[in-house]
Amino acid sequence: MRAARTHEAGEPTPAAPLAATPLHRIAAALAHDGLWLDVGHATLRVQGDSPHLPAQLRAVYRHFPFIDRAEWADVHCRLDRPRGLRRWLKPQVVFVSDAASIFSPFPADAPLPLFEWGCNWLIGHRMNDRLLLHAGALERDGHALLLPATPGSGKSTLTAALSLRGWRLLSDEFGVVDPDTGLVHAMLKPVALKNESIAVIRAFEPGATLGPSFPKTRKGTVAHLAASADAVARRHEAAQPAAVVLPRWEAGSSTRFEPVTPDTAFAALAFNAFNYQLLGETGFDTVVRLARQCLAWQLVYSELDDAIDTLDRAWPQALEAAAR
Amino acid sequence: MSLPVLGWLGALREPAQVLRWPLADWQTIIRLARRLRLLGRLAESAAAAGLLDAVPAPARRHLVAEIRQSRFRLRTLRWTLERVGLAFDGAGYPCVLLKGAAYVAQGLPIAAGRLPSDLDILVPRDALEDAQQRLQVHGWNEAELDAHDQQYYREWSHELPPLRHPQIGMELDLHHGILPPVARTTVDSAALLARLQPSGLPGWRVLAPVDQVLHSAAHLFLDSELRDRVRDLVDLDGMLRGFSQRQVFWDDLLARADELGLVEPLWLALHFCTRWLDTPAPADALRWLRMRGPGTAARALLLPLLDAVLTPANPDAVDTRRRDRAATLLLARHHLQRMPLRLLLPHLWHKARTRRHGQDDGDDGF
Repeated sequence: MRAARTHEAGEPTPAAPLAATPLHRIAAALAHDGLWLDVGHATLRVQGDSPHLPAQLRAVYRHFPFIDRAEWADVHCRLDRPRGLRRWLKPQVVFVSDAASIFSPFPADAPLPLFEWGCNWLIGHRMNDRLLLHAGALERDGHALLLPATPGSGKSTLTAALSLRGWRLLSDEFGVVDPDTGLVHAMLKPVALKNESIAVIRAFEPGATLGPSFPKTRKGTVAHLAASADAVARRHEAAQPAAVVLPRWEAGSSTRFEPVTPDTAFAALAFNAFNYQLLGETGFDTVVRLARQCLAWQLVYSELDDAIDTLDRAWPQALEAAAR
Repeated sequence: MSLPVLGWLGALREPAQVLRWPLADWQTIIRLARRLRLLGRLAESAAAAGLLDAVPAPARRHLVAEIRQSRFRLRTLRWTLERVGLAFDGAGYPCVLLKGAAYVAQGLPIAAGRLPSDLDILVPRDALEDAQQRLQVHGWNEAELDAHDQQYYREWSHELPPLRHPQIGMELDLHHGILPPVARTTVDSAALLARLQPSGLPGWRVLAPVDQVLHSAAHLFLDSELRDRVRDLVDLDGMLRGFSQRQVFWDDLLARADELGLVEPLWLALHFCTRWLDTPAPADALRWLRMRGPGTAARALLLPLLDAVLTPANPDAVDTRRRDRAATLLLARHHLQRMPLRLLLPHLWHKARTRRHGQDDGDDGF
């Protein structure tokens, strides 16, 4: 690791965060060996000549260390300008992984959503050594809260809001569970906020660090919330699962918070997983264990502050149950 | 031949080789093997030799993950075979498994680590309609196609449009031949059906071993896309090693290649298998194939093109234009061999017009 050379005392110098790294150095890394982003459960290596990419990555991976050489990455990708006429006619950016171009191109000024979407797709299809729930995941007091949900249920918005109120973000997309230990691991990507959620989070926490907004992606307008310095620093700390909450945002509703039975929790976890079926018996055993050891609730809400108060009040119960 | 691009293939047969790879080699090999659809095979070989624990942890995770993925797909394939078998109960004509499904049914070593996504079945041409009806009753329906594609499949192809089932994550390709009937090289399906063998799965049969080799060779070297097809060579290598235990195998193979008009693909298969995978083959068989294969001039043109296209690109390669140009030349050759120009030109025109609307790469909820 070039950026982590040892200094006189023999102690490794921690790599400077991306936010403190000049853009030209990030661009140079992307043009040469690449930029390595260790997001906890996986390491991404990104290269490419997209001129918009350095600033966009720096905005949403701001607290991640700047690493421009490492021995290993789980996902390798390039975000390049296409060759030939395409470069000038209707400028685009292409996603190339392992010398194969696998997704449709995005407009040239939107490499970040393509990077995020492409990497998530590759992670979701490849990292089958662990159970991958489609769930928001947060940690507090050494224990994990899982929010399994279908797209459109407000999972990312609630996850983002919790991460701005003292919960440590593990992931807004992947609940990574180790079948051997039962622990929940971080997959610390920026939280992808869509459409109305962007304004909701800006209003909820004016200090939130959001990257640029990208209109007209396949999910509408998308903007990314950067993970906090603390979440980045602790991304290798796993957590014991303690609670499963099935969130549903409903316009104008008052907060409803009701316990659900372990079999409902089981179904919610199994049906909202990327690889439950693929893991076969291992997947079943892992989800049964989760449903047994966690307290589970359903949460219907429209007001974020009220929903978070409700979760904060219920949390000690979950901790207590986990301690037993 | 550098270790990363082709040299690692030896580890598929001799997994102890993986113990010599430093993490940097693993990094390249895992990326390459995945793109070539050989990662599962590599992982299963290492697992069978009890070597997974000796693999560096970052690489081991990917092997474990791929083993899970592959075993899931193979489970799905076996289950699909069971379901489809019910549809053909009492059919009275042979139902033949081709390619991957045949390797799985026979329990060949090359079945381990595969990622099957479709199931290829061959039935006699005059049973096609009945087979299709039986499948339809069991929920298998044709994907929606436009009129041109419908006509293409019915008149000029050797298989029906892919069949899909609402509850089964596997496509079914129903064949009545192994090569398109209008291609310059045609294979008489009756000759294949005359030499069927039991598969190991009740109700299902497979081609004779020599025919399986010839089918695989023809499938590779008469196909339009040869990039990232090293897996086909590995399959051929595995079959040749497994089947050639029997004394008469090679005599039979050469005679059958001649009879079916598949000398050229067999010659090409052996050319690359012996060079890249050390496939053992008797010298007189190779000499005979060279004699009967294309002339010196054609060989001098064809072999470098095939070599350029079959050699996998390094995963970090930015510029693959040399390989892609060679692929374009081979594609032109392929089209000319497959269809007469009076069919080819309207077909390509139609494809070019519809391609613009067709591109999609799925949406998995991200």
